[in-house]
Amino acid sequence: MIEGIEPAPNESDYDLYFGPAHPGSGNFGVKLKVNGEKIISARADPGYLHRGFEKLMEYRTPLQNAVLSDRLCILEPLNWNLIHAEAADQLMGIEIPERAKYLRVIMAELSRIQSHIIWYGVFSKGTGFDTGFKMAFGYRDYILDLFELITGGRVYPAGYICPGGVRRDFPKDAKEKILKVLDKMNKMIKLEELENPALNARAKGVGILNIKDAIRLGATGPVLRASGMKTDVRKEEPYEIYDRLDFDIPTRKEGDAYARYWIGIDEMKQSIKIIKQALKELPEGDVIEPSLKKPKPSIKIPEGEVYVRNEIARGEAGIYMVSNGNGTPYRVKVRGPDFLHMIPVLEHLLKGVQIADVPAIYWSLNICPADMDR
Amino acid sequence: MSERETELLDEIKTRFKADGEIKKERRIWVSTDSNKLIEICKYIKEQGFVHLSAISVTDWLEKKEYELTYHLWSYDDKILITIKTRINRKKPVIESVTPIWYENAQIHEREMHELFGVKFEGNKDLSPLFLENWQGPDPFRKDFNWREYVREEFYDKENEREKIYYD
Amino acid sequence: MEKQHPIVKTIILKLKINGELPKIKIYGGKIVVKRSEKAKTMRKLIKAIWIFNWFNSCGFAELVPLVGSRWDMERFGMIIVGTPRHADVLFIAGYQTHKSLERAKRVYEQMAEPKVVIALGSCTMTGGMYWDSYNTIKRLKDYLPVTMYIPGCPPRPEAVFEACEKIFEHVKELE
Repeated sequence: MIEGIEPAPNESDYDLYFGPAHPGSGNFGVKLKVNGEKIISARADPGYLHRGFEKLMEYRTPLQNAVLSDRLCILEPLNWNLIHAEAADQLMGIEIPERAKYLRVIMAELSRIQSHIIWYGVFSKGTGFDTGFKMAFGYRDYILDLFELITGGRVYPAGYICPGGVRRDFPKDAKEKILKVLDKMNKMIKLEELENPALNARAKGVGILNIKDAIRLGATGPVLRASGMKTDVRKEEPYEIYDRLDFDIPTRKEGDAYARYWIGIDEMKQSIKIIKQALKELPEGDVIEPSLKKPKPSIKIPEGEVYVRNEIARGEAGIYMVSNGNGTPYRVKVRGPDFLHMIPVLEHLLKGVQIADVPAIYWSLNICPADMDR
Repeated sequence: MSERETELLDEIKTRFKADGEIKKERRIWVSTDSNKLIEICKYIKEQGFVHLSAISVTDWLEKKEYELTYHLWSYDDKILITIKTRINRKKPVIESVTPIWYENAQIHEREMHELFGVKFEGNKDLSPLFLENWQGPDPFRKDFNWREYVREEFYDKENEREKIYYD
Repeated sequence: MEKQHPIVKTIILKLKINGELPKIKIYGGKIVVKRSEKAKTMRKLIKAIWIFNWFNSCGFAELVPLVGSRWDMERFGMIIVGTPRHADVLFIAGYQTHKSLERAKRVYEQMAEPKVVIALGSCTMTGGMYWDSYNTIKRLKDYLPVTMYIPGCPPRPEAVFEACEKIFEHVKELE
């Protein structure tokens, strides 16, 4: 008993801080008000990774921003590279060559597979299946070796997808290596499809999000598809070459953590299908618009504004770019899917559940704190 | 597809006397006054624009105005509408759209309040989101120069290695 | 007696042993480290490295593959623990904001002696990629006592292993 402080009226009420150190994501905390074993309310505590990205981009030219844009979220750098390059292309009025579009799509889909592998690994560790974690990170290294071969960096590709196309062409043996890696991915998916009883007990019927709540709270991407809505930016508003490719959109109806887990695995299969088609149809030609081959510091962006939407592995991403006629953009607004998933959706889903369910719900939303704080 | 866009734009222009244009496929841009914002938003929500993608603020320093943009997407028609308004920069106050788009709008407005200092009337929770004990000016304003601030607070001109930051 | 280390292309490490810097020579294409006589007779204090999982910013994504099956770190005796009371090493992997630095300081105070702080990445040395951001700190040594720096953005897993090997050899009895 501390003097001067009165005890709480109901003795089994207490505050629990689900703290900022997590084994597999950045720093993010949730403050829970708990009664016994049941959670009454939750409040998210963001801001551990806030760098002020949007204003950092105002001091740099679009080619310099291409290198900065892959640090928006380390778990899927090429997808953020792609959306920033599209916004800069549309503002500057550049037409990119055909071969560059195919290369961009192949790299973006490889990055999506790699991100879903991390999702599987971290979700398994959260629900107690440690073998899945080690297996996932073992298989992910095949894709990182491919990235190193093509772009030069294992994790950060140093602005490979830049305004105007891509920085350099594929090396000669890249195509066979990609096909070999995709065979290994198929083997890994067969292992992932074996069900383990821990997952069934901890994830079925937990964290149910019905479709009206999902639209009201702003969920997008796999979280919305697991609740029953068949929507994907690649089909509704096709960018690059997605309107020429043939792929499905997996959806489920239940909306619990178990459904979100299976959507991640189904999406990996669709990505493999897309890469194989794109590799078959790859045309010859330039990979970057000829006037941008050598970076010039004095390029001016014409006045205007643009809003671009893309489908990254976690959901819907958006960039709003405004230009004033100078060499650097005047305002860049980055809309990430995790900003909505981590604050309104998480606070809504954590009401009335047990403490033991919190990891399953938290990891099933596929969270990247760097994307939220920017 | 483009029939629906022209139909929507004409309806907004005649009913609410706002300006607008269709810049390319699936993109409608509308500008209006700040006191007509809520009526336009209610009308657009009835037309099927249930998804609020982003709310953003641009700081026009010479004209002494803040420009707010609301980006809305419709899953049925597959069109994106952007609504822009302008408010005063010294006392930025505007009505909140949380009665229309609920928690989605509430979190976006909370972020804009912290970074630019805009007050949204009707929003129940405008507490700081990212920063703890921040005493300085609103971070994303155009008159707050980050490079000068960083050179004063963190770096040391006498240090050999850090001289390049002072060029 | 000189011990020879093969050149690893991406690393130049900066080491301190209780105030004495060892002599480093480039000799016939190989980096050679000469340890002082005093250092060789002291006993090792850290025998197996247990890491606290403070996975903060960008750099953590190259620490997690260390746990996976390709660069298995358990064969060297390293595991990741969940409480600072059991940990020996605190990896500060990347940029820190003011909010997260306070928590890192509390974690450091709760760790038991002997303890080591390793700074990963270029953001801890000079501010790195975000040098003009208002919220990140620029020089980690102003806030926490750093034993070793590993350059890179982010550094490769092989570089992290090389650094851990140096901890085994160089953290000796404190006076």
